[in-house]
Amino acid sequence: MTETHRIAGDFLSLLAERKLVPTRVEAGHAAPVQTQATTVFAFHFADGVMMAGDRRATAGNIIVTDKVEKIIEIDATSLLAIAGVPATAFEMARVLQTSFEYYRRSQLQTLSLPAKVRALARLLRDNLPMTMQGVGVVVPLFAGLDQTVSPPKAQIYFYDPLGAQFQAVGYAASGSGSGTIRSILSFQERYGKPRPSDMKLADAVKFASRLLIVASEFDSATGGVNPASETFATIRVLGPKGIENISDEQQKEFLK
Amino acid sequence: MTEEPYRWLEAVGNRRDYVREQLKGGSPVFAASLPEGILLLGVGSGQSKVFEIFDRQALAGLGHPADIEKIRQAAIDAAHTESFTRAPEDVSLRRLVSFGVSGQLKTNFEQLFTAPFLIELLLAEIGSTPEHDLFFRLHFDGSFQSHTGGIVVCASQPETESAAQKWLAEACKGKKDRGEVANLLLQAWWLLQHGKNFTESMPDEKERQSGWRSDAQDKTVEVGWLSRNSSRPIRYQALTLSELDL
Repeated sequence: MTETHRIAGDFLSLLAERKLVPTRVEAGHAAPVQTQATTVFAFHFADGVMMAGDRRATAGNIIVTDKVEKIIEIDATSLLAIAGVPATAFEMARVLQTSFEYYRRSQLQTLSLPAKVRALARLLRDNLPMTMQGVGVVVPLFAGLDQTVSPPKAQIYFYDPLGAQFQAVGYAASGSGSGTIRSILSFQERYGKPRPSDMKLADAVKFASRLLIVASEFDSATGGVNPASETFATIRVLGPKGIENISDEQQKEFLK
Repeated sequence: MTEEPYRWLEAVGNRRDYVREQLKGGSPVFAASLPEGILLLGVGSGQSKVFEIFDRQALAGLGHPADIEKIRQAAIDAAHTESFTRAPEDVSLRRLVSFGVSGQLKTNFEQLFTAPFLIELLLAEIGSTPEHDLFFRLHFDGSFQSHTGGIVVCASQPETESAAQKWLAEACKGKKDRGEVANLLLQAWWLLQHGKNFTESMPDEKERQSGWRSDAQDKTVEVGWLSRNSSRPIRYQALTLSELDL
C-alpha cells in the first residue's frame, strides 16, 4: 500500500522506496565534457514547434546505424531530442515516460510544463558523475505544451550537461552538428523570407531536412537526408492539439 | 478472543456481514466487451468510480472512496514498477490481481483488528480481439473471478449482480454501438439502484429510459473506453455522454 513518506505521484521516489533506482556511479577522475556525435534541433514555426534530428549513431569513426530515433515522444504533449551517450539518454527518456504517466494516472491530472522541464534537469544533475567522467554526457532538448495559455502554446527548452535549463525563444540545437544549424537558424530568423517562425508545415519540413543536409556536409557524425537512398530525418511536430509524426513518406513528398 | 479458532471464524463471519451491510446501496459499475474496445461505466455522486490503471488496464469500483483509492494506487504502483523494470508489454491484469492486490486485500480482511476495505471492484484489460478481453471481479476479501469477453457487473449484492449480468448479456447480444450498450448499462444501473427485479415483470424500456435519465441528472456518469485499435500504446480515454449520443 502507499507509504506516507513518499512524494505523491513521484515515480522516482517509488523506485527509491523499492530500491530500484537505475544504477548511479560515483565520480571518478575528471574528464573533459564532450557532446557526442548527433544533430538535433527544434524551432518554432507557424503550427507550433518542429523538432528534428538525424538518425546516425557512431562509435569513433565507425557508423553503427543510420536508423536511430533521436526525437522521442515522452507523453501526449512532450518531446525529447537526445544528444549524447545513447545508453544514458534512452534511459532518461524511459524514466521520464514512466514518471509523467505515473503522475497523470495516480494524481488524476497532468504534470505542469515547469515540473516536466525540472524533471529532466533533475535527471541530468543525477547523472553528474558520469558527465564528469566524460562517458555519460547527455545534452538534450525538450519541447512541451504550455496549457496555461489559450490556445496551448508549444515551448522549447535546452539544457547544459549539468542540468541548467533555459527556455529558447526561437530555436535550439544540440550535438556535434549543432554549430552549423544554429548559425543557419539565426541567419534565417533574422533575414529569411519567410522566417522559420512564419513557415507553414511543408516549408518547415523542407527547411528542417535541408538543415540536416548542410550539417552533414560539415560533420561526419551527422547522418544527412537523401531521398534517393531513402534516408530521412526524424521529424515530429508539437502543436496545440498534441504531437504529429512526419513520416518518411510525407518527408519524401515535401522534398519533391 | 482470536486465539480460539471457532471465535476467529465467528469474528471473520461478523466482519463479512459488516462489510456487506456497509456496501448496501453502493452504486454498481459495469464493463462491456465490444468489437472496437471495452466500455466501463459508473454513476457517482461526486467521487470518481472509473479509473485508468495502465496502458491497457482500467478499474471501476464501488465502496468507500478512500479504500478504492488505496487499491487503485497499489495497482498503479505495481503496474508502473513492472513496466519500468521489465517492459510495458509485461504488465498484465492477471498478475496485477492474483499476485498483487488480491493478496493485499486478503491479508487486510483477515487482520481482525484493522478496518476492513469496503470495496467491490471490477478490473478490465483490452485484448487483441473481444475473445481476449479479460475481466476480474475482485471482492473485499481478496477473492476474485475472471471472465473473458462479454459483460461484467459489479454490484454490492451477489444475487442482483448475477441477475443484472444475465439480463445485460441477453439485451446486449449482437449490439456493437457503444452508445447503445451504454444506454442498456444505465438502464441496468437504474433497475439495481431501485431494487427492481430482472424478470418479465420488470419496468418497460420507456420507464427504464426515463428512470436513469431522471436519476442521473444530479449525478456524474463516468464512462471509460479502452480502445482496441489505437496506434498509441495508451488505450484509455474518458468519454462524455454526448460523445455517446446519450
